[in-house]
Amino acid sequence: MSEFEPTIVAFFCNWCTFTAADLAGTSRLSYPPNIKIIRVMCTGMVDPQYIIKAFLEGADGVLVSGCHPGDCHYINGNYKARRRIKLLKEILPQFGFDSKRLRLTWIGASDGIRLAEIMRTLVSQIKELGPSQSKLSMVI
Amino acid sequence: MAPKNGKALVVGAGISGIRAALDLAEYGYGVTLIDTSPNIGGILSQLDYQFPTDSCGMCKMLPLFNRDEGSQYCLRKGLFHENIEILLSTDLISVEGEAGQFKATVRQHLNWVDPKLCTGCGYCADVCPVDIPDKFNENIGTHKAVYLPVPHAIPNPYIIDFASCTRCGACIKACPTDAIKLPQDKRNSFHILVVDDELVMRDSLKEWLTEERFSVDMAASGSEALDMLKAKPYDLMLLDIMMPGMDGVEVLQKAKENFADLNVIMMTAYATVETAVEAMKIGAMDYLVKPFDPDALTPMILRIFQDADGAAEDRQIEVGALVLCSGTGFFDPGSGKNPFGYKTYPNVVTSLEFERMISGTGPCQGKLLRPFDGKPVKKAAWIQCVGSRDLQTDADFCTGICCMFAIKEAVIAKKTSDQNIETTIFYMDMRTYGKTFQRYRDQAKNIYGVNFARERIHSVIQDMATGDLLIKSVDVSGNSKEDRFDLLVLAVGQRPAEGMSKLAELAELALNEWGFGKTGPFSLAKTSREGILLGGSLTGHKDIGDLLIQASSAAVNASRFIHSKGGDLSTEHTLYHPPSGVMKEIPKILIVICTCGNRFLQLADSDHIAGQLKADPLIDKVVFSEKLCTDQGLGNLVELVKEITPNRLLIAACLPYVYKLKAKKLGNEIGLDPALIEIVDINTGYSHLLNPNACYEENKTEILDEESSSASTHHLLSIIETGIAKLKWADASETPKVSVCQKTLVVGGGIAGMTAALAIADHGFEVDLVEQSEQLGGNLNWLKRTLDGHSANELLKNTLESVKKHPKINIHTQSEVINSAGEAGNFHTEVKDPQNQIHTIEHGVTILATGGSQAPTQSYCYGTNPAIITQKELEIKLSDNTIDPEKLHSVVMIQCVDSREEPRNYCSRVCCANALKHALCIKDKNPNVSIYILYRDLMAYGFYEAYYTQARKAGIVFIQYSTDDKPLVEIENNELSLSVFEPILGKRLQIETDIVVLATGIVPNISQNLADMFGVSLDQDGFFQQAESKWRPVDSLKEGVFACGLVHSPRNIAETIATAEAAAQRALGIISHKYLTGSRITASVHHSNCALCEQCINACPYGARTVDYDNERIFVNPGICQGCGTCAAVCPNSASVLDGFIKQQMLAIIDVATG
Repeated sequence: MSEFEPTIVAFFCNWCTFTAADLAGTSRLSYPPNIKIIRVMCTGMVDPQYIIKAFLEGADGVLVSGCHPGDCHYINGNYKARRRIKLLKEILPQFGFDSKRLRLTWIGASDGIRLAEIMRTLVSQIKELGPSQSKLSMVI
Repeated sequence: MAPKNGKALVVGAGISGIRAALDLAEYGYGVTLIDTSPNIGGILSQLDYQFPTDSCGMCKMLPLFNRDEGSQYCLRKGLFHENIEILLSTDLISVEGEAGQFKATVRQHLNWVDPKLCTGCGYCADVCPVDIPDKFNENIGTHKAVYLPVPHAIPNPYIIDFASCTRCGACIKACPTDAIKLPQDKRNSFHILVVDDELVMRDSLKEWLTEERFSVDMAASGSEALDMLKAKPYDLMLLDIMMPGMDGVEVLQKAKENFADLNVIMMTAYATVETAVEAMKIGAMDYLVKPFDPDALTPMILRIFQDADGAAEDRQIEVGALVLCSGTGFFDPGSGKNPFGYKTYPNVVTSLEFERMISGTGPCQGKLLRPFDGKPVKKAAWIQCVGSRDLQTDADFCTGICCMFAIKEAVIAKKTSDQNIETTIFYMDMRTYGKTFQRYRDQAKNIYGVNFARERIHSVIQDMATGDLLIKSVDVSGNSKEDRFDLLVLAVGQRPAEGMSKLAELAELALNEWGFGKTGPFSLAKTSREGILLGGSLTGHKDIGDLLIQASSAAVNASRFIHSKGGDLSTEHTLYHPPSGVMKEIPKILIVICTCGNRFLQLADSDHIAGQLKADPLIDKVVFSEKLCTDQGLGNLVELVKEITPNRLLIAACLPYVYKLKAKKLGNEIGLDPALIEIVDINTGYSHLLNPNACYEENKTEILDEESSSASTHHLLSIIETGIAKLKWADASETPKVSVCQKTLVVGGGIAGMTAALAIADHGFEVDLVEQSEQLGGNLNWLKRTLDGHSANELLKNTLESVKKHPKINIHTQSEVINSAGEAGNFHTEVKDPQNQIHTIEHGVTILATGGSQAPTQSYCYGTNPAIITQKELEIKLSDNTIDPEKLHSVVMIQCVDSREEPRNYCSRVCCANALKHALCIKDKNPNVSIYILYRDLMAYGFYEAYYTQARKAGIVFIQYSTDDKPLVEIENNELSLSVFEPILGKRLQIETDIVVLATGIVPNISQNLADMFGVSLDQDGFFQQAESKWRPVDSLKEGVFACGLVHSPRNIAETIATAEAAAQRALGIISHKYLTGSRITASVHHSNCALCEQCINACPYGARTVDYDNERIFVNPGICQGCGTCAAVCPNSASVLDGFIKQQMLAIIDVATG
């Protein structure tokens, strides 16, 4: 049997992390194709519903990444994301998902290398956790 | 918005040039922004971190209104604005005419890589055999001769370094889009004549140039040279100035008479530089200072060769004004005696090199490693003032930014190494004169443990075995010290940029005595030539916040000239109107996939992809296009759209950012709203999948095996499907807008308020100027002169006159603001007049200029004896002659009274200059007087340093004191006695003095109540809180409210005026529009779902949302909303939505992503 290849959904903010992803691309740094990048304007707009939806649709991991604290283009959206994700991590196990499957990071525009590193580590961590299995049927 | 008639040229696309260009573009003028280098961003593109956030926030300077006119992505990546044309690798060649009607010629140097075709894939660099030093990384590490000038910029075409390219042609074969064309090498038919009386010089030049494959002849004298010129045509003459017989200038004159087009470079010794500059006036192109090495010569000659070879395009631009922001150079610490072993010891680096070392895009990938052996740096030292404040290197000035730069670098080093590094800064004075700087320094020391050592380093020795640096220093009291470090960072001082004298020459600008641009009096931007403004570090290094203020001040003055020549008249503009009803039509989607040569077909099964996509009934057609990026490809697309008439278009190609720009144009051409054109990036898909070597290996048509081909097909398909998901829900309804009341309220009638009012009124907009007291003028009513000898009196007189007679300015003295409400574009403010009548003023923007005053004090026995006075009192007493300098025997000045320590832990910036001014004035009138200035760090920043030097030469005694042992003032029997510990002598001194002058600093004049009325915050010291200290330096978080002058921060008069002009420029950005238009990405509310829970109101960081109680609705001001979408995330009923990112789109995209 071939190795388990996880599906990871990544919400990247338009200003910092998406730029870093683009930089990683143009610098041709390799990162696993398991990660599906979704551009959002700000991590502050990532509705918990999106994250839960991703898990329920079969994502094995979700990565949310934005600007460094104090750096948010929209002043404080990243702080709001931080609060929201902390709470979500508490709730996720009740839906049957290991909270380690959800990750929040701050990656600046010039951190292409760090982003590639983080994505590689995340993929290997999720591989260790194995495929995610929703214990609930579709609720959304 | 209809663009205006006026045009401006901004030279230099660093951070200042960008600010000035954006300011002028936001106002509506057409701007041409040029830069010599192949990228924008200047020095800032190399700096990842800025204090006080210790990261980056550059994007925050992008326009907040009419956002769809410009780029909405990281500014490091690039800049786009409808009104800005950016020309890179471009020089300013000449400026003719006068303000309002300049004719500027610019020369763009073309590269061998066609930027229109290059997709940035990088295959060329893979095969290039030549390695050259990496300039972006300050020459640490190498890249290929074909390279990306900045790794993260877009559009990001590769460029070829002409000097090092061997023309092997490997890149041509590797390029999938045929973007590279290497011209035939015509160097051997480029004839150079070397004229020098010294044989050694001639020989070595001939050797170098022949090595570069040029054809070279030599002449030993002027007359010989002239004969040779007649005998054979030459392309270039290298001409020595000092020659026996006919000298270089004479030869030049005679040569130019017969051969006007001949390119001439003068060669000069250091002593005759002025002659060389003179020579440029009579037609020399440039000059070289002897001795020079081939590294300096070759690029200059190559550039001339390229230009002659037709690789440059000249253009004439007609503009109303010019803003020059072409940057600065740096001192080369390896020159001269090189006391710190720069370039000799690998572990000695400059501050800029250090920035690249800790950068994520740098050569060490953000890890701090010793250049000597690649081991981690455990102990680093910074040396301040290398090539600044140093008479030996002819630098009697302070570079102004290095202290903060070094503190920031030390803090970042601590942060990135998790405190596993010891950091020491060796300094003379820690010049923390800006807002919040002092607290940042204290934090560096107390929280991060950065050591500050006021010591002078006399020698640096490298341990040859270990590479460690042995640093020997002497402290203030003369004790020798010695320590080992892994890394030594030199805070290199500023020098005028290369080509500064040439620029000054062609633009007829005055330079100061060190070769920097000269402005003023009382302006940081105005020059002696009307219509040419200066910005940026061209006039001396500044902190980012100050640079942006200066740039905006330059912009507003440029704008005045343009306006006065009718620049505000509109040019015709065809606005695109979407066909009505498109939103009600069923989506009919055309998908165009760029196959990028045949790369796509190698990777994926196109039939399968087309089949899968067509299964969706909304997809009308799937078309594969060979090269969409070419003009032909795009032309084909236009034809196709016209034939099929889809109502939505999906383009799958590379470089989505570039296509986004094209989409608008394309939309106009094909009659499709840009919101209905979606671009997805399948290039990143390629990068994942394609073996980078596959493309140029011999077997070009290598087909991937079946399994990976199916995987890549799947991957590319999912990328395209994401785009479809987004497109299906795309909304092209008209962007909402709010009307603007095109009037301004300025609160405070000091020099800042009056300047701001004038700057706005000069653009034809009405201003209400409210002043609490009886007369306008503020602090200038007592402040008479400045350190640099200009009369503040005259400034006040002229300004008052202009303000009073200006038809657009309504002055309200003895009036007070009672209340204010509203938001950007529409404020209503109640003002009480002297008769206690209340008037309501309607205005679109507010500028707070309520000023500041000298801080009160009770320290040092102030108030108990008339001999103890403040600096302000001294100023007044010197003006009205109540103090006669000739009767004084001894004067003591105490600096930093109650300042730079809690609770007033900030530097007031003007006190040291003020003390120097008064000390020099007294000393001038009475050379026998003894003057003692007791200071902590002497803040003679920038070109004030020369006055500090002058003061010391005049015999004024400077004694440094520390906060643990402050000077002691005692009064016994009405006798004044003062004692202070003198660290150099190591003794306590008793000083007899006639007067003690206290510098108590500045406190702002604004009450919390007034701040609340206008919705602005105050910082912990009571000054105006900026939205962002670096990137939005005069804005408040409440949009439409700006501040300037002393209420903003302590500043001298010229700096105060700059803040006022900057605030005026920001205000003009709003009131010059009849409407504030939102963006396609703006929040809105579905009122039927809204439960009025008001959670979105709390979540909105911009205050864009209000409750409309009359209609029981939430109102979103589309001008203020920035489209972050936080409101949509908090809305429990999905009533709040972010247009462009609506929930249906997001969920559909997640569906595709989870596949």
